[in-house]
Amino acid sequence: MSYTAAKTLPYRVELYRQIKRKRTLFAYAFVISLPIIVASAVKFGPSGHSGGPTRLGSGTADLIGLATQGAANFTITMFYFATPFLLIAVVSLFNGDTVASEASWSTLRYLLAAPVPRTRLLIQKLKVSLTLCAIAMVLLPVASWIIGLIAFGSKPLQTPLGATLENNVAIKRLVIISIYVSISLLFTAGLAFFISVTTDVPLGAVGGAIGVVILLNILDAISGLGSIRVWLPVHYSFSWFDALSSSIQWGSMIRGASYSIMTFSLFIAWSIIKFNKKDVTS
Amino acid sequence: MKSRALAGISTLVLTLISLTGFSVTSAVAAEKIAAPTSLTVTGAGGVNLDSSLYLPAKLPAPAILLAHGFGGSKDSVASEAQFLAQKGYVVLAWSARGFGQSTGQITMDSPQFEIADIQKLINYLATRKEVVQQHTGDPLVGIAGASYGGAAALLTAGYDKRIDAVVSDITWNNLEHSLFPQSVAGSTTPGPFKKVWAGSFFAIATLPNAYLGECGNFSAEWCAAFVNSLNAGAPSAAAQKLLLASSPSTVTNRITAPTLLMQGESDSLFQLSESVATASEISRAHPKTPLSMIWHASGHDGGSDESAYINQKTVQWFDKYLRGKSASFPKFEVVDSNGTISLTDSTVMPKNLQSTELPLAQKGSAIALSPNLAPFTAPIGGIPAALSSLPGLGSALSLASTAISSLGSSSIPGGVTSAALLPGQSAIFDSQPLTKPLTIIGGSSVRVHVSSNRSDATLFFSLVVHSPNGGVKQPNGLVAPVYLPNIPAKGVDVTINLPAVVVDASMGDSLALAVSSTDQGFQLPNNGRFYSVQVLSPLRIPVTPLQSAVAKSDYFTWPLAALVTIGVAIGLVIWRRPRFNEVAADESEALVSVSHLSKQYKDGYQAVSDLSFSVKRGQVVGLLGPNGAGKTTTLRMVMGLIYPTEGEIAINNKPIYPGSPALANLGSFVEGPGFLPHLSGRENLSLYWRSIGRDDDPKLEEALAIAGLGTALDKKVRSYSQGMRQRLAIAQAMLGMPDLLVLDEPTNGLDPQQIVAMRQVLKKYAKTGRTVIISSHLLSEIQQTCTHVVLMHRGRLIAFGTMRKILTRAGKKVESLEDIFIELIGDDLTIGKE
Repeated sequence: MSYTAAKTLPYRVELYRQIKRKRTLFAYAFVISLPIIVASAVKFGPSGHSGGPTRLGSGTADLIGLATQGAANFTITMFYFATPFLLIAVVSLFNGDTVASEASWSTLRYLLAAPVPRTRLLIQKLKVSLTLCAIAMVLLPVASWIIGLIAFGSKPLQTPLGATLENNVAIKRLVIISIYVSISLLFTAGLAFFISVTTDVPLGAVGGAIGVVILLNILDAISGLGSIRVWLPVHYSFSWFDALSSSIQWGSMIRGASYSIMTFSLFIAWSIIKFNKKDVTS
Repeated sequence: MKSRALAGISTLVLTLISLTGFSVTSAVAAEKIAAPTSLTVTGAGGVNLDSSLYLPAKLPAPAILLAHGFGGSKDSVASEAQFLAQKGYVVLAWSARGFGQSTGQITMDSPQFEIADIQKLINYLATRKEVVQQHTGDPLVGIAGASYGGAAALLTAGYDKRIDAVVSDITWNNLEHSLFPQSVAGSTTPGPFKKVWAGSFFAIATLPNAYLGECGNFSAEWCAAFVNSLNAGAPSAAAQKLLLASSPSTVTNRITAPTLLMQGESDSLFQLSESVATASEISRAHPKTPLSMIWHASGHDGGSDESAYINQKTVQWFDKYLRGKSASFPKFEVVDSNGTISLTDSTVMPKNLQSTELPLAQKGSAIALSPNLAPFTAPIGGIPAALSSLPGLGSALSLASTAISSLGSSSIPGGVTSAALLPGQSAIFDSQPLTKPLTIIGGSSVRVHVSSNRSDATLFFSLVVHSPNGGVKQPNGLVAPVYLPNIPAKGVDVTINLPAVVVDASMGDSLALAVSSTDQGFQLPNNGRFYSVQVLSPLRIPVTPLQSAVAKSDYFTWPLAALVTIGVAIGLVIWRRPRFNEVAADESEALVSVSHLSKQYKDGYQAVSDLSFSVKRGQVVGLLGPNGAGKTTTLRMVMGLIYPTEGEIAINNKPIYPGSPALANLGSFVEGPGFLPHLSGRENLSLYWRSIGRDDDPKLEEALAIAGLGTALDKKVRSYSQGMRQRLAIAQAMLGMPDLLVLDEPTNGLDPQQIVAMRQVLKKYAKTGRTVIISSHLLSEIQQTCTHVVLMHRGRLIAFGTMRKILTRAGKKVESLEDIFIELIGDDLTIGKE
């Protein structure tokens, strides 16, 4: 009999264990349903037949008002809709549930006694939950683009700042936006993962992470807090707007991405340290 | 536990603070500054200047003269003074002559009076030991002020070489040009009188002192100049002389102190072009004078509150040029109020843009405008008059006019209605819709042909953005007033300098030149007129290369901070990793040896105390004890799930700890089965085997035979009964036939036949030289299955030995284990401490 710690809980095994779960499929279904629901609401909505596409907003120069411009604009608007809650929820779900659900199924103790070394268990789980998040981050723009293409056709991206970007440029910008949004969600991922390690209740971990992020978003919206808000990790969640101007303004995206990576790595370090010292009683 | 969480949080916070360069100065800034000392300094001609001296915590320090705006006093700059004193400057604020408690009369920053007063203040600072002195009589001193104070700052810098740095905000370059603005390029004729602003000025100074007569505190000369101008609609020669003397433009060629010029975008009194004129003159005379310019979104018309931003820029400027702090300061920074979308409600938020060059001789690009001839009238008496901007209301009106015109457009297709552009009194010359967005920062120009039926013309030109739905946006309500005398019958061709603005135009909008015959802010001709205007040239718009005002260092420090944090995180994990002995304390031939094992939980509950026993190969050991005896805790410690507080466990002489390789030789079933409910039994077993890091034969068939699940094996575990899960879990524990099998209540939920079968399986398992540890409360079951017994109570070992030995009491064999159990434990079944 030979045992190799590095062979325990392989990535593919963990991916299979997670991807076969209903909640994974539901999460992806939610991500895809967002553009479908919005597009059909616009297409078949009350004013959808009186010539020209329904406008989502009343402004002449706002993001939502431009959503029906074409596939590119529609995709950007879907990012705008998904950033404050949907993506937070999906990322919290994948990362918050991953360890806590093993605890609640009682599988955690059998994996640890197998033995899967504790640090390795967390890292393998993190790799897989981040993979699942990355899939969602690809799914959202791709689905939005396809649905936007069917519903509104392919037109150049018109940004609220007045820039017009041809589709080849728009796609590059969307890739940048997807990457930025993914990185900026790392804070949420790290937080959810940390709570997941500390609790045996999967819903508590997911809900706790969503709650904290929403609380921070509320704090960020209180202008009375002034410049303290730049230290809130969620402060930069919409910095991807800067990728919409004629020339990309990198400043706050770089700050937001760096800050997110910083908080993420500290949360993960803290999770590992805590989990390594923990008595597993689940 | 709490302390550890606290340590974690503080580590996180500390790391973030230290890595992101959160400046400690903000903590210093919170320190209290002593209340200012009031004092009276004698100014030029013996007037008393009521002053306040603010001292910083650390002395001596450079000094700053802080001048107030028109109608204010030393108290109206108290918060700025506090701020600068907190930043470490001696601040001297005073009420200018004629204002506050100071004596004397207002002469509008006249060099002989107000500026001479300031020179006396510098003399005074030269006597104070709290102020850093460069030479005798020459203190290290900067001067700052806005509007009236801004002009005082520039004029003082021109007249007194002792000034070492200047910050001037929203002020004039040429007072005559500001009050009689003329936007025709190259014209020396005074333009229309800016009567509402001038009247407001006059009222501010005279009303509080109305008991002094209609001139209030104004000097007789200035009072006469104002009254005459109002009556004539043009400045008298005497007034022109006075206005010129009070204009920084007369001394800009002498300014050599580093100068920061700030101007407001929302300012119809002193437009952005004033700062451009001052900057051009300074840099033409002394190109080496450090010079920067900022256009912010505030101004005399209101706009946004930029005081924090202005304070911060002011202190940066003084830090750089009075303290010699090496900091990069942009040559030109502009607040684009339309810069970026709000994070929350998609409204537009301001954004700061920077350039490495001043917007002086700006390069331009040309945009063709409609060449149509446009006729329009000027109403008799100048009523009704268009409303572009008024003191303190400019921006609000500009916004309102956008909204009104957007609404109006639906009823009048293609027409324009706006408070700033009244029908019949205005004309608009559109460009083609823009094919790409445009940000205009600075002044545009255009050449036009003007004819009038009365040989003169008073016109108000503006650059507007005309959106496809008919809305007209006149940036900040700024207009370029024009007065053209002596127009020949065939008309005249002139070049109009349009107001410097900061405006964004989107794709689809058109840029347009608007012209109106009326404006409520200005003196208008009383008799009516007919005009016609035609555009002769393309619109020349300025082009300035601009960057987002994020310090370049951000591009490196933040990613670097992120990298360092990753390093710190990895370091923390390695530093705080659990360390274990790899070698057992003492050799023994037992398969499992438990020595002096204790476990006290964090809440103080002692679950196991000093437990020692050993198990050899081939044994089936029963772990017995009432609820709370510590059986499960012991088994969890054997599995490496719980850290013992004392003692150690070894399997095959290899110590057990979380993740110990020795655990690979252990199959376990403790406190119920654990499976992924969404997968089938077969998938669960197969995935588990692939997860445990062993590459030998799982002996799956043997294990499955024990489970005896048949076709249910391919159904989802969610659908299994308790007994099925139980059997699957025991099969999982037996995967790969480990040397040690630990089973906790294995017969729960099993049918009697299955219990019998299980008994045989376990006995057979032990016969192959392997070992089984069973914990159960079914004593008869233990009696029939086990060869050895470990009896625990309250975490302690009560008895340990072979079944035969246990069942023998006082030399006599007892029939059932139950009797022994009751005898040894008694009825003491309380759980926990007493």
